[in-house]
Amino acid sequence: MILKIAFRNIFRQKRRTILTALAMIVGFTLLSLTIGLSDGAYGGIIEMFTRNRTGHIQVHRAGYLDKPSLYETIDGYAAIGETIQGTAGVDAWTPRVYAAGLGSVGEKSTAVQIIGVDVAREIQATRFNNKVVEGRVLGEAASHEAVIGKGLAKVLSAKVGREIVVFSQGADGSLANDMYKIVGIAESGDDPTDRTACYLHIEDAQELFVLPGRAHEIVVIVSKINQVDKVRNAFEAKFNNSPLDVAPWQVIAKSFYRAMKADQQGDAIARWVIMLIVAIGVLNTVLMSVLERTREYGVLKAVGTKPTQIFWLVICEVVVIALGSICVGALLGIFVNYVLSIYGITYPEEITYGGMKFKTLYAEVNIRCLIIPAITVLLSAAVVSLFPAIKAARIMPAKAMRTH
Amino acid sequence: MMEQTQKTDVIVTEGVTKVYTADGIPVNALNGIDLTIQSGEFTALVGPSGSGKTTFLNIISGLDNPTAGKVWLAGKILSEMGGNELSDFRRDNIGFIFQAYNLIPVLTVEENIEYIMLLAGVPKAERHERVLAMLEVVGLRGVADRTPTQLSGGQQQRVAIARAMVSEPAIILADEPTANLDSKTGADLLEMMRHLNGETGMTFIFSTHDPMVMENAQRLITLRDGQIDSDKAK
Repeated sequence: MILKIAFRNIFRQKRRTILTALAMIVGFTLLSLTIGLSDGAYGGIIEMFTRNRTGHIQVHRAGYLDKPSLYETIDGYAAIGETIQGTAGVDAWTPRVYAAGLGSVGEKSTAVQIIGVDVAREIQATRFNNKVVEGRVLGEAASHEAVIGKGLAKVLSAKVGREIVVFSQGADGSLANDMYKIVGIAESGDDPTDRTACYLHIEDAQELFVLPGRAHEIVVIVSKINQVDKVRNAFEAKFNNSPLDVAPWQVIAKSFYRAMKADQQGDAIARWVIMLIVAIGVLNTVLMSVLERTREYGVLKAVGTKPTQIFWLVICEVVVIALGSICVGALLGIFVNYVLSIYGITYPEEITYGGMKFKTLYAEVNIRCLIIPAITVLLSAAVVSLFPAIKAARIMPAKAMRTH
Repeated sequence: MMEQTQKTDVIVTEGVTKVYTADGIPVNALNGIDLTIQSGEFTALVGPSGSGKTTFLNIISGLDNPTAGKVWLAGKILSEMGGNELSDFRRDNIGFIFQAYNLIPVLTVEENIEYIMLLAGVPKAERHERVLAMLEVVGLRGVADRTPTQLSGGQQQRVAIARAMVSEPAIILADEPTANLDSKTGADLLEMMRHLNGETGMTFIFSTHDPMVMENAQRLITLRDGQIDSDKAK
């Protein structure tokens, strides 16, 4: 009967029910949108960051990450790559050779970071071709070509078609120097990287540094970013007895990851503020409802309804409205997030985050957009209705029935 | 006192005092009322407005707390009961008839009448049977599915009477039950209550200004300025 009275009160007091439900629906949708945009933005940043630079997982010789060295290489990386490719959840892998050197174009010289890449794999894994903003990407076969970063091109006043001479030291102690034709200018979105990057075909780099069949790094891309841990665990099991280290992107890009986490905590504060506004709105309407119906509660108590039953009556009404609002809010939240995941919100000007540039903010539709607002609305409604429910339960019938 | 109450006295009050505070000024609504009401009485509380009739009814039913004094109802001291216990006690022992009917607006006539039985855990079939029988008694056959707003004042008061009596409580407390009714409806209802009193032995206590109720009462207690001015058995 208490539930029946609760339901009938909800439909009898339509205006009040709509007001309460509106507060909850707007709160739910706002919260869902905030989470959708936040997850979409960070998802996009992570995707861009990992795809452009680090990959999702990296494999190195043990100790290389802490102290990179020309000599700490992965020997027989092709076979290891095949093992990686055979692991469930892996989308692509690509080997890299790294070495520092001096680059000269004409009269100008500067320090360069030589990155030897397997062009076909790099295109598949990190969309290397998309970074080339001028000229063309390296050929798939080694042919003494180079693509240099935009910043480096500026420092060296280099243009496509000119030649860059690279000086360094080979792994066998010999002097490494060779000349490469600049076929393209690359822009990764990270200016410090672009000021030093000189991409060579991996075989050219191996020849230059006397590292035949060896690489410093294997970059792995997984099908879904939430599978990183699972794939990493699979690698660790496979490479258990080898001198290899497996690191996820969160470890490789520690400072980026920490900055992003701190930023996300800022977003969480915004979510708390929205939750607080929703809770105050609900408290206001529920209190109004209890005050309006003081007389009715007095009558219910007078004829023998227990204070605990009155308490549950108020809670029931609010929870039923909350559940209805969650259903409507969920539909709205999914719709708005879905639309924004397709069309996005375009910034008036490009923004830079973690060295990457963004023009459009896209939302993401995921389970968090529903679960967090649902729990928030339900809990805040239940919690804020406690005070009015206790107030209704403690009403003195004689006094309550004197009110109009 | 308790032993006497357990035998025949359904309501006993001892020094019941109620002081309200209005705008910071204390107002004595009741001044130490000592009264005993026995089972089966048909008693009217009369007196001018503000004499304390309604306050007294509220206090002897546990709807309000006295500032001082004690109330024994069916042998139990009301002030010693907790909230839930007091609600159960009211549900099982007292039926209320209010001047303003005080039906629950979202429930139908049948649901209003059966509500108390539902709280008491009476099975559905028995509830339905008793509701129909009670509607027959109060002359409201055929309105079970209507809501209070679809009834006239007289009909609503009949529903309120049915609600008060359906669970066969020991005591019926009625606060100005005929005040909002025309004289014929009032007379019919009074006759009905008089009949039930005779048939079932329920105790009826009215607060009233209505001469018709006063004429029918077996005992007339007059309150004035929160005190018993006279107490006459007829």
